[in-house]
Amino acid sequence: MENLIVIVILLVIIGCAIAKIAKEKRSGAKCIGCPHTKNGCHCPSKPTKKP
Amino acid sequence: MKIALTGNPNSGKTTLFNALTGQVEKIGNWSGVTIDKKEAPVRKKWVAGNEEIIAVDLPGAYSMSPFTAEETITRDFVQQENPDVIVNIVDATNLSRSLFFSTQLLELGIPVVVALNKCDLNRKKGISISVEALSYNLGCPIIETIATSKGHNGLKGLLEFAILSKGKSQKAPFDSSEVDISNKEAVEASDKKRYEWVQGIIAEVERRKVTANKQTKQDAVDRVVAHKWLGFPIFALIMWTVFSISQSSVGPFFADTLVGWIDGFYAWVEGLLGGGIAPVLRVILLDGIIGGVGAVVGFLPLIIVLFFLLSLLEDCGYMARVAVVMDKFFKRVGLSGKSIIPMVIGTGCSIPGIMSTRTIKNVRQRRTTAMLTPFMPCGAKLPVIALFAGVFFNEAAWVGTTMYFVGIFLIVTGAFIVVRITGERGSRAYFIMELPEYRFPSIKRAAVESFLQAKAFILKAGTIILLCNATIQLMQTFDWNLNVVADGAQSTSILASLATPFALLLVPLGFGAWQLAAAAITGFIAKENVVGTLAVVYGITNFINTDELALISGGDSVAGIMGLTKVAALSYLMFNLFTPPCFAALGAMNAELENKKWLWGAIGFQFGMGYIVAFLTYQIGTLVTTGALGAGFIPGMIAVLLIGGYITYLMIKGERLAYAKKKALA
Repeated sequence: MENLIVIVILLVIIGCAIAKIAKEKRSGAKCIGCPHTKNGCHCPSKPTKKP
Repeated sequence: MKIALTGNPNSGKTTLFNALTGQVEKIGNWSGVTIDKKEAPVRKKWVAGNEEIIAVDLPGAYSMSPFTAEETITRDFVQQENPDVIVNIVDATNLSRSLFFSTQLLELGIPVVVALNKCDLNRKKGISISVEALSYNLGCPIIETIATSKGHNGLKGLLEFAILSKGKSQKAPFDSSEVDISNKEAVEASDKKRYEWVQGIIAEVERRKVTANKQTKQDAVDRVVAHKWLGFPIFALIMWTVFSISQSSVGPFFADTLVGWIDGFYAWVEGLLGGGIAPVLRVILLDGIIGGVGAVVGFLPLIIVLFFLLSLLEDCGYMARVAVVMDKFFKRVGLSGKSIIPMVIGTGCSIPGIMSTRTIKNVRQRRTTAMLTPFMPCGAKLPVIALFAGVFFNEAAWVGTTMYFVGIFLIVTGAFIVVRITGERGSRAYFIMELPEYRFPSIKRAAVESFLQAKAFILKAGTIILLCNATIQLMQTFDWNLNVVADGAQSTSILASLATPFALLLVPLGFGAWQLAAAAITGFIAKENVVGTLAVVYGITNFINTDELALISGGDSVAGIMGLTKVAALSYLMFNLFTPPCFAALGAMNAELENKKWLWGAIGFQFGMGYIVAFLTYQIGTLVTTGALGAGFIPGMIAVLLIGGYITYLMIKGERLAYAKKKALA
């Protein structure tokens, strides 16, 4: 029983971590937990290549 | 209703945007911090009626004829996206420069409201501006603002006028619509006239106690801190002080408390688990997750203090002077002075640093800057620096300072090599940067920046690092037959068998243990992982209190526990810092370099430089301290000669190609 509880706790912790990473990635974060990198940072759009 | 915030660089647009919207976008007391547009709704407390206002923060621009990529964004937005009102933020301390752009905005026909910002500084400097006269001359409302102030900052009045101006037409006091923009001479003549017209207005509306040609106290300070010989040692001294406070005194003081709490939590969970839990589950939860993540989080106070101090330096205007000091070195190796900005941004995180290289026009300079920016130690590398400085060098501040200067040295060396490989030696770029005025730094802004860094650090620790540590613990617990490895027989684990071949390559660098190789490899996922993995593989929960570290691990000395000499520890630190950055940063490099040859060249170059620096540190250091060369000197020397020889071959090839091209052109 005790082992089962610990397994559930581990699964919850790891599941939360994975869910958070997935959420951050979906919201456009280039790097999880890096400041000023969300939504493409303060950077201009890449210059389009001229034909 | 959409309002566009425009103005010259460093006029306070993002500060005003943050105040209006409640956002915490990156600000800095120097030009070029914002290089893309940002939009957010204005907070209700600033708006009298029910009007929904969207504020758009645009990069700074000096004129509507763009010279840089950021200026192009601003021009395109105000010309093509039809904002309802343009809020032109004018730096009241530098009216003559700001109004040139204002008069161009007034010509667009879109209603303009001028925010005369930094009025508080004007009063301090004894400059008075007749707002009524200026408003009459420009033909638009002008509101005095202090974007940094919480109290009477003028923002409410500014928005009231913006709402009133919506839908109205705008007259231009200076009209250049007749000028043929395809005729360069006509445009220059028109710009000259505009400038004279602006000077005429300034003579009428502005009174200064200090004339522009009189030397101020600021000029006197600049003559010292931006001096061509003194500037660099002053920068080194300041960085040493920053590291001394953050890594040796204030930071560890708070870290000790935090680590005490983490240890207490570890003991509490251990007590809760009791004796009936399967050992595998116990080690994953206690050593893998709590111990591994806790070891990383323990460095949080050091990081908060460091970023707090760096923010103060940036806010007071000093970092802009550093850019000027470094420009001298960068110019000589064919880099643009503009390359300094991504590198300074890269001290927080390499990714925005690499991405901000987009503003550099010259392709070779842009790519070189993108590949060299990761040499500047980023925030993720700080726990690694703090760990080794604390454990092996008694928290000496020179360790962190040295890492920054080795990073700068590698950037200069790298640029020197790249400019020869590409055959573009001799090309020089000129760097023009407006130096902001020195000011007393804002404690609040520094606290906000440290908070953002801390939040990001905790998020990373609770996600990527947690998952990595749990995986590392599992790989260390089981062998390939999925049997639990016996205590003390971890070298038979999955992790050990995967890391050992890499460890052999690292013997000439002084750290051939599989544990250290495993930590270095996980560092490519996120650099903080080096600390987390070392905690897991050595079963350590506390890297801050080194006495306790020795006690827990049962070793008689810290160096003995990790099996490293001080020289080898320094070599290991350099290897982790100066080999390629994390995968996310490599992804950013890939996007910016836009060329696979450059990307693989950059990764190879970073590996080569990291290997050579670590090899030289270990072998020379060992020779000096023990009188004999370190282990694996011969194979290491062969590897270094091969790397050096290949780089030299590429440089000669590039120079020959350039010479042949030059000859053909002649």
